[in-house]
Amino acid sequence: MSHLSTHLEENLRALAARHPRLAAEIAAAAPLPSLPEPTPAGDPTLTADGVLLHSRHDPRREAARWAEAQRERLGERADATAVVLGLGLGYHLEALAAAWPGPIVVVESDRALWRTALAARDLRAVLARVTVAEEPLAEEAIDAWGVPVVLPHAPSVLRGQGLRALGESIAGRAALRGLRLRILVVSPLAGGSHPMAGHCARALTELGHAVRLLDLSPFARGMEAIPGFTPRRAARGAVEQAYMRFLGSGVLAAVEAEKPDLVLALAQAPLDAAVLAEIGRRGVLRAFWFVEDHRLLTYWQNVIGEYDYFFAIQQGAFLDEAAGRSAARVAYLPCAADPAVHRPLALTAAERAALGAPVAFLGAGYRNRRIAFRPLLDLGLKIWGTEWAGAGQVEAAVQRDGARISTEDSVRIFNATRVNLNLHSSTYVDGVDPRGDFVNPRTFELAAAGAFQLVDRRTLLPPLLRPDEEVATFTDAAELHDLVRHYLAHPEERAWLAATGRTRVLAEHTYRHRMQRLLETIAAGDHERLGARPREETAADAARREGDTPLGAVLRRLSPATPFTLDGVVQGLLHRTGDLSDPEAILLFLHQFDELYVREQRA
Amino acid sequence: MRKILVVNLTRFGDLLQTSPTIVGLRENHPDAELVALVERNFADVARGLPAVDRVWELDLDRLGRMLIGETGDGLRAAYRLVDDTVKALRDERFDLALNYSSSKMSAVLLRLIGAPDTRGWTMSADGHRLIAHPWSRLFAASCLHRRQAPFNLVDYYKRVAGVAAGPERLFFEVPADARRWAADFLAGAGAPPGAPLVAFQLGASRPVRRWPAAHFVALARALHAAIGARFLLCGGGGDRPVANEIAAALGSLAIDACGRSSIAGLGALLERADVLVTGDTGPMHMAVAVGTPVVALFFGPALPFDTGPYAADHVCLHAEVACAPCDHNVTCLEPFCRDTLAPAAVAEAVLARRAGDWQALAAAAARWPAIAWYRTGFDAEGLADVSLLGARPPGRAEGLRRAYRALWKAVLEGTAPRPASAALPRDAAVLREVARLAAEGAGRALGVEALAADACDLEALEVAARRLEELDARLFRLGAMHEAAALLVQVFRFETENLEGEDVGALARATRVVHEELAARARLLAEMLEPAGAVRPALPQGGDHASVG
Repeated sequence: MSHLSTHLEENLRALAARHPRLAAEIAAAAPLPSLPEPTPAGDPTLTADGVLLHSRHDPRREAARWAEAQRERLGERADATAVVLGLGLGYHLEALAAAWPGPIVVVESDRALWRTALAARDLRAVLARVTVAEEPLAEEAIDAWGVPVVLPHAPSVLRGQGLRALGESIAGRAALRGLRLRILVVSPLAGGSHPMAGHCARALTELGHAVRLLDLSPFARGMEAIPGFTPRRAARGAVEQAYMRFLGSGVLAAVEAEKPDLVLALAQAPLDAAVLAEIGRRGVLRAFWFVEDHRLLTYWQNVIGEYDYFFAIQQGAFLDEAAGRSAARVAYLPCAADPAVHRPLALTAAERAALGAPVAFLGAGYRNRRIAFRPLLDLGLKIWGTEWAGAGQVEAAVQRDGARISTEDSVRIFNATRVNLNLHSSTYVDGVDPRGDFVNPRTFELAAAGAFQLVDRRTLLPPLLRPDEEVATFTDAAELHDLVRHYLAHPEERAWLAATGRTRVLAEHTYRHRMQRLLETIAAGDHERLGARPREETAADAARREGDTPLGAVLRRLSPATPFTLDGVVQGLLHRTGDLSDPEAILLFLHQFDELYVREQRA
Repeated sequence: MRKILVVNLTRFGDLLQTSPTIVGLRENHPDAELVALVERNFADVARGLPAVDRVWELDLDRLGRMLIGETGDGLRAAYRLVDDTVKALRDERFDLALNYSSSKMSAVLLRLIGAPDTRGWTMSADGHRLIAHPWSRLFAASCLHRRQAPFNLVDYYKRVAGVAAGPERLFFEVPADARRWAADFLAGAGAPPGAPLVAFQLGASRPVRRWPAAHFVALARALHAAIGARFLLCGGGGDRPVANEIAAALGSLAIDACGRSSIAGLGALLERADVLVTGDTGPMHMAVAVGTPVVALFFGPALPFDTGPYAADHVCLHAEVACAPCDHNVTCLEPFCRDTLAPAAVAEAVLARRAGDWQALAAAAARWPAIAWYRTGFDAEGLADVSLLGARPPGRAEGLRRAYRALWKAVLEGTAPRPASAALPRDAAVLREVARLAAEGAGRALGVEALAADACDLEALEVAARRLEELDARLFRLGAMHEAAALLVQVFRFETENLEGEDVGALARATRVVHEELAARARLLAEMLEPAGAVRPALPQGGDHASVG
């Protein structure tokens, strides 16, 4: 026993030099219930949670073989960091440190295991050589590792889920870094989720990827006109299906023209299982952001089988069900706002007069809204949006004859309205849906615009926006009248809530954040495929290679993510003014030459 | 003048068309070194041009291979190749560079080479098209208004180079080994030594510009019946299907050289032919260069006025249909003009030309009125010209063209103007209106000049400038509405577009001069179309307020 204690103290001292907090936590932790077992070689091994962590015969030899194999994986890369998943009893780390001179990081969160291991063996040398990844793993920490190569210690990973997921996340972020993906974003024909496609495309572009947005709204009119063929429902349905298939063929043509790495479809994009299968056959990753209520819109069941990644704005049983129906990786991805679009605006007096109101709602005239807003008619209520025909009393408050409101006008209206109502829609509940889960885009858009809102309580709201600290909420439609009057009378509260909400949304709930999450999930799942992808050279890359040459100088003046191709480089030149420098003229010459002679020869 | 660079990166026909300019340059600058910059594939043609001291080859195939994969490494390699080439060309320190390739690419290259005197297709420092030389401007404008095309392309080349008189033919020195090859080839093909040999150029840049194979076959049969001729089929590798068709139909009468010779070899073969029957193609120029008579078929977008054979005593047959000339870029679905040039007519042309019988040609011309028959030649000023055979009175289009020709000779070379052969009073009225507007424009430009000198009232200056713009818009509209004014206004447009400089006053002065020149030219052209003293009709009502169609 005293033999063990000496190791622990000395190890902890060594560990505390660089990781004092971890050392303290380990000191305070209880060891694993299982005890280390001796082996013929004298070195101890350990079984934890039924998993044997090292060989019972010769742990060092086993570790040396493992290290050799890992060394092959690390290869000759000068910038690689070995990220080992699992501490075990440290044999594999020692062997790796002997076989490979580069930096080594170990990921192990189990304090009990740490305690047992540090008590069982003298690990001072290893602790000096290796860095421990502190959790939670920060972005900067991972980025500082150069190119992380994740090396699982299989028995450690077998013990629990956490290490595997962590390893994938690290591998995913590594694969994503510096990668310029070609992404095709497919929009729905119309509807509330249509603008989201544009926001997603913009965010992905900002993240440095080559994005093409396939905006299918020109085809919405066609869909709307289909009822003109026949009054019969079934026949109409058949025509609509044929129309969707036709649109699918268009999407397929776009995929063949663009050759994207990833197709991202937004809810109700016209992609049926057959088209998706075709796209998959071409080796393209398929992701779907289903921004609907899965109970209301059930078409997801028909297509989920053909997606590689499925993102939803709801959680819990739905995600489990979705995962059960498909091989797709399923994840929660809530809505967001686009700060370039949903932002505070300075309005003129005329705009305020036309668009402003003490209290207003912007959106479609669903049943619960028609009923819930009735009591507010005496507060100067204005209603904007479509499908309010036949809404009864509240119809008097509808503006612009129920015409569709553009995104730009929506943001103005948000800004001009003192109290924005945000009641999540329901077709069957009169008022607030007590089991309402997902948070709609409007919640984030209002907040990003710095506009004050009253939103109904949703189960998924609190982790996103703290109720009554970052957003004002209500649980019952009956509260609305009093709440609206209260907030009309307290502009300072409105201002405060709006400000804190905006801060939170800008920090965590923009499309950029969502797209980064989406890509990391995909990269984690497909990191081998994406990591192997030849990186498209950018102007920044090329400029670095050129160094201090005239061409380098020209390239450095371009936006860093500009692809280092003739089209990419010359785009920037074609619109500038002033005299052309020699390097610019040479690039222009090559571009013209390419257009005249080479273009037609390419496949 | 120490060193002159002549750039022609297009096809070998264009290169041959540059040959009189090069010879003329040699005559003007006997001590200068003449360097031709050409595409590597045509380097041999360039070496066959007399007076070329050195040929600089641009390996565009190699450059293309670097770029085709669209890789960063390829782009870097291509950049370096061009960079090295440009450096080497700069080190030559050319005094004069002439760019005869009509592409933006070549304009950029010339800018990079940076010879102090650069002419032809050029580019300004900020990357915009620049057509500085007056002859270049006229050429560019003529390309847009080809019905009034006054001069042959070769004459533009010469004038831009400052070669005013110069040779009245094309040049190509057939190398001895090519001659040997041709002799062997013809002997091997079993051509009877004394038999007349008529060459057929089968190919063209696009299928619609090819005279149909069936017509060639009919022509061959007629010629064989008349003089027992044999037929040399010429063309590129891509014309093999047509050659096969014709060879199959003609059997032993045909000697199939299609795709089987180098360019020099083609020259050697054409030397041996009595006559070449061809469309407007590179081999046509080769035949001219080696002194073989040509019966050239002009139809579709081709016109004998600007791209006709540059030498005397060749025959051009032009299908004078209502839609001629069509645009180079359209796809005609009913190219009936090819049939207007009937094989029987072409047969008569070949037989008469072979015999050197111009009277017979004139008589034949009278029998085929749908075709305009021309004899190539040169006018008193040494500019290529075509004269109508068959005593036909020239129509309005011809009258306009000749008037423009006389105008530009007067404007650009100071030749005494002559009245057109046909009076065109309505067109004269249009041009007088142009002159009036242009004079008014000169007045407005003077106003801008004055305000600019003052430098006080910026608002007034802006207003004056806008008024001038409005007047110019009316001039452009007149040019768009009336064929007679089109070419003149187009040249004016290029001149206004190419005024450079930051100084408002200087620009205004230059603008005024351009307007005054337009006024003078329009007046002169009107004079030529309708000498003074004749009764003048008013301009058709609606004038320049009518919208353009």
